[in-house]
Amino acid sequence: MALIELDEVSKLYGFGDATTLALDEVSLSVAKGEFVAVMGPSGSGKTTLMNIIGLLDRPSHGSYILGGKQVAHQPAAQQARLRRDQIGFVFQFYNLLPRLNVLDNVALPLTYKGMTPVRRAKRASDILELVGMRDREYFMPYQLSGGQAQRAAIARALINKPSIIIADEPTGNLDSRDSRVVMELLAEVHRQGNTILLVTHNPELTRYASRVLYMYDGTIVGDEQTAIGQMARHARRIFFRKPRTTDSDIAAGVSAMMRDMPGKALAPKAKRGRPPKAKKPARSRKAYRTKR
Amino acid sequence: MWSGNLKTAIGSLRQRRWRTIFTMLGIVIGISSVVTVVSLGYGLKHQIVGQINQLGSNVLTVRPGKVINNQGGISSLNLYSFLAPSTLTSNDVNSVRHLGPVGSVAPIEFVTNVASGDNGELDNVFVAGTSSNLFDLLHQNINYGTPFSEDDTDQNFAVIGSDIAAKLFGVLNPVGSTVHIDGQDFIVHGVLAPSSGGLLSIAQADYNTSVFIPTAAADSLTSNHANVLQMLVRIRPQADINQAAARIRSTIAHNHGGTVDFSVLKQDELLGVTDQVLSKITNFISALAAISLLVGGIGIMNIMLVSVSERTREIGIRKAIGATNRQILNQFLVEGLALSIGGGIIGIGISYLINLMLRLYSSWHPVISIPILILAAGVSVGTGIIFSIAPALQAARKNPIDALRGE
Repeated sequence: MALIELDEVSKLYGFGDATTLALDEVSLSVAKGEFVAVMGPSGSGKTTLMNIIGLLDRPSHGSYILGGKQVAHQPAAQQARLRRDQIGFVFQFYNLLPRLNVLDNVALPLTYKGMTPVRRAKRASDILELVGMRDREYFMPYQLSGGQAQRAAIARALINKPSIIIADEPTGNLDSRDSRVVMELLAEVHRQGNTILLVTHNPELTRYASRVLYMYDGTIVGDEQTAIGQMARHARRIFFRKPRTTDSDIAAGVSAMMRDMPGKALAPKAKRGRPPKAKKPARSRKAYRTKR
Repeated sequence: MWSGNLKTAIGSLRQRRWRTIFTMLGIVIGISSVVTVVSLGYGLKHQIVGQINQLGSNVLTVRPGKVINNQGGISSLNLYSFLAPSTLTSNDVNSVRHLGPVGSVAPIEFVTNVASGDNGELDNVFVAGTSSNLFDLLHQNINYGTPFSEDDTDQNFAVIGSDIAAKLFGVLNPVGSTVHIDGQDFIVHGVLAPSSGGLLSIAQADYNTSVFIPTAAADSLTSNHANVLQMLVRIRPQADINQAAARIRSTIAHNHGGTVDFSVLKQDELLGVTDQVLSKITNFISALAAISLLVGGIGIMNIMLVSVSERTREIGIRKAIGATNRQILNQFLVEGLALSIGGGIIGIGISYLINLMLRLYSSWHPVISIPILILAAGVSVGTGIIFSIAPALQAARKNPIDALRGE
């Protein structure tokens, strides 16, 4: 039986005519032991999907069965417990707590389980040994390199022996050497029989995956089984092709503008002398990031 | 779990050291002022009750004004009675003195608050006219010299308190020296033993800063308009105290044309009155002090709200790795409690310091009792809970994904 069963899951943000459909009736089933890479452009709903699978967010519609139990509409406390025991998160920006040392950061999920300090320190120490961070136990997060911080974060994700690891662009902030170390670590975790969901923009990383999902505008548009060690076929295509705006995209954009603000759609014409360049920087890095 | 939370809380409070100190300061000031005020009231009550008990149960106190309202069987204190000028006169004193069951009478007639001696003038002296048996009635010992006797009433003699002796003459035993009051000279006849601030049931005036002169002299100084603040009446041992009180009441009422504009109080009534007065004053000042506590509490709430919004991301991370809303709530509650309890402990420490200073450098004798400490502890815990529950709830209810995104 599948570990994760999503059935026609939708997620809507906002209301009225500002409603965004982040996920559009996505159905997905992931078996235990799969290494699923999720790819797609920004705003395609990858992170929303991960948040729903990771029980950080609730679907607007549809059902989510985790390990044979319907979990989509459980009370918050129960979801928190499932997050603690079943799911490990690895984030792009590590998300270690800056005031705690590595050992305490890794042991934090056990704290919420109510384990005694001595036992959780021992457990955290063992896990850190596993990720090769034993000698950094008493370092503070700011004293670590990106790769080390991410390894500590993986150790924290692993400490409760979760059934799913959700890694949202774990190498997005790392150089290629650190990326490699982190990905090898995740591959090792996968070999131990863990289920991993990996969000990435880098097609190279599909080499580690056993299955690749492609998302676009809130739907899964491609689902490909690949051999580990091999880059996925479609991913390879994305890798070598730069996204291009087609004529139909422009037409769709203009008609949307005319519908939303009929008076202003023609405004740029009046100020012909000035190219609408000022608009571009508005899409700052931060806005870009929060949208993902 | 709780010890973990405490560790986290202390860590985060130490991180923001100055902010923590200033937030605590509000609670420190609030707690120390409440504790100090209550302990002052308590100490004052202690002294006065001790003094009243010292009088003995066969002493009646006659006071001007109707001190106790008796409406519908409920007796309450009539505060207006303290504002009016005295209705008792030396005539009343004389008529009470000649009643059958009365053993001895000592009036206290306020004359002035200024007296001068060899070392200059003092303006915080309680100069009162009285009869020689006052000291006996009050069980107040005389260290040097003797009290003026009944035969001396026409002479200008004075019995002075130990502080007055030191301040006006600079010696322990100034018997034979001269005190000037209202242009008249009085020869010091005796010096009272230092008392632990025994009050004449009138704030600020204690034996140590009093000068007692014979009633005759007081009457002549004030041309028979002395303010009779109170009259102590000792009943003969065989007489019934209630009957005696009734007789005194009717006698003075007769003098006043039938109006009962005075009170005859037994020891227990006197205790009741004192208790009510002091409780009212203490409660009033405590309420004022409690305002600073309220402000301190709002300070805690403010800082906790800032802390919650600063640590949005931390909350998101904690939630992502499995913290329940309850656990987040507890974390912030413990932090708020650590602030207020820390402030409370420091506040209690400071009020002990103030207590010590007051005992050393003033005539006040505050008493910090166990109930006051329990009150202070309870108040600081209560403040912590009340004012950090809202920020903690805000933290607990944050949506994990929004929290993870937010800085």
